[in-house]
Amino acid sequence: MSCEVEFSALAFVKLLLHASRFPHCAVNGVLLSECSEGGAGAPEGGCVCVSDCVPLFHSHLSLSAMTEVALQQIDIWCARKQQRIVGYYHANASLTDNSPNTVVLKIGDKIAEQFGNAVLVMVENSKVSLDYGTPPVILYVKKDSKWILKDKNLVMWKQWEDTKRVADALSSAKAYNQLIDFDCHLDDIRQDWTNHDINAKIAELCSPANGNL
Amino acid sequence: MASVSDMYDVTWEEMRDKLRKWRDENYRNSEQIVEVGEELIQEHASKLGDDVWIIYEQVMIAALDCSRDDLATTCLHELQKQFQGSHRVKRLAGMRLEALERYDEAFKMYNDILQDDSTNTAARKRKIAILKAQGKSTEAIRELNEYLEQFVGDQEAWHELAELYINEHDYAKAAFSLEELMMTNPHNHLYCEQYAEVKYTQGGIENLELSRKYFAQALKLNNRNMRALFGLYMSASHIGASPKASAKVKKDNVKYAAWAASQINRAYQLAGHGTKETKCSLKAVEEMLESMQIMPS
Repeated sequence: MSCEVEFSALAFVKLLLHASRFPHCAVNGVLLSECSEGGAGAPEGGCVCVSDCVPLFHSHLSLSAMTEVALQQIDIWCARKQQRIVGYYHANASLTDNSPNTVVLKIGDKIAEQFGNAVLVMVENSKVSLDYGTPPVILYVKKDSKWILKDKNLVMWKQWEDTKRVADALSSAKAYNQLIDFDCHLDDIRQDWTNHDINAKIAELCSPANGNL
Repeated sequence: MASVSDMYDVTWEEMRDKLRKWRDENYRNSEQIVEVGEELIQEHASKLGDDVWIIYEQVMIAALDCSRDDLATTCLHELQKQFQGSHRVKRLAGMRLEALERYDEAFKMYNDILQDDSTNTAARKRKIAILKAQGKSTEAIRELNEYLEQFVGDQEAWHELAELYINEHDYAKAAFSLEELMMTNPHNHLYCEQYAEVKYTQGGIENLELSRKYFAQALKLNNRNMRALFGLYMSASHIGASPKASAKVKKDNVKYAAWAASQINRAYQLAGHGTKETKCSLKAVEEMLESMQIMPS
């Protein structure tokens, strides 16, 4: 509630590329953060830094079997990489529908059980283009068992201008065709859902003066 | 801007054949279709013979998908000139109106077609598509059910109905629609696997057992279906760990789960040969399977 949420370029750009790759489908994914010392629960008065994301599905989002498989694999991968799942993103199929539905809330609840300051990100479909000024996303956080809109003043974007520049460059270059989600991985398990290649492209494009993403 | 034929070193015949393949297999790779198709019709229309009309149709629909109204209108005009008064072309004009979100006009266009020919299934389906686009899922479902009472063999419609029910979380009705599909397509592993996923989502031990059986059936039909393999593993594991299952059922399911686990491991070992990144998945899967190891009771 009162803690800030900060988004890295890597997380935002991949989320956007995922939605761009499947414009006629609903898509979803989980948001990751580097673990701080202190372990479970919210860092006291600190910031939730969303450093990465894993794109999940673009079909049958409400069917649970493959979601369970994906979340378990991601949990294990996170543990190795000193990361944890801190949120969930979702883009509805319909252009004008930005509201979180039952599936979104259910998955959000599951994540919130493990991480108190979990954040839900809904993509504002109609704002996604090459010209948005502000990030085309709406954030929700849990308060008293209900999901409410996150105060916009508490949402930070690490180097927004750079993030947008990288997002635009990759969208124009149609890099979204190389974005792999878990559905793609299940279709062909040689495909890498950690998106190592896209991560490298994003790192390369981000301003070298920044240091880390 | 480099042409497709230059960039990918392909001839116009290859481009035409690619478009045919995408048409036959119903791919929705609209950006690619527009890229290849636009060049084909601009540079090579005269060589295409009668194929040109179906290509105009294919490119037009892809252009609508990519908001290329200019290209869509060009294709539409060519088709309207050639096939005056055609319902098939009228439907395309309706789709263009839909793309422009002029739903009322599109609706009227489809109703005109249906007045002339009440059996025109394409126009009826477009009307249902409009309802879907407008977020009116309940009405879309109702209309689709009515349609299926008349056209009970329409596979595409049954599948669409299953999708609509899944989106509305009405898994029982989704399962019913998929049962229809499985009856008429007993060799289709995707329908079995989707049915199994719906049953799994419904939950409860009976549904889990059904889901396991259908995941297994999907695997029998296509032993490379990873979703079926994972699904078999998950459903068998859950049954094996369920307090409601009898000792025999538990024992059997633990065996099935163990078999599935070894197959999953094997598949990932084979896939993992090569890149470092796929080794990540392999490790994650190995650990996942270990962590879910069921202790036989």
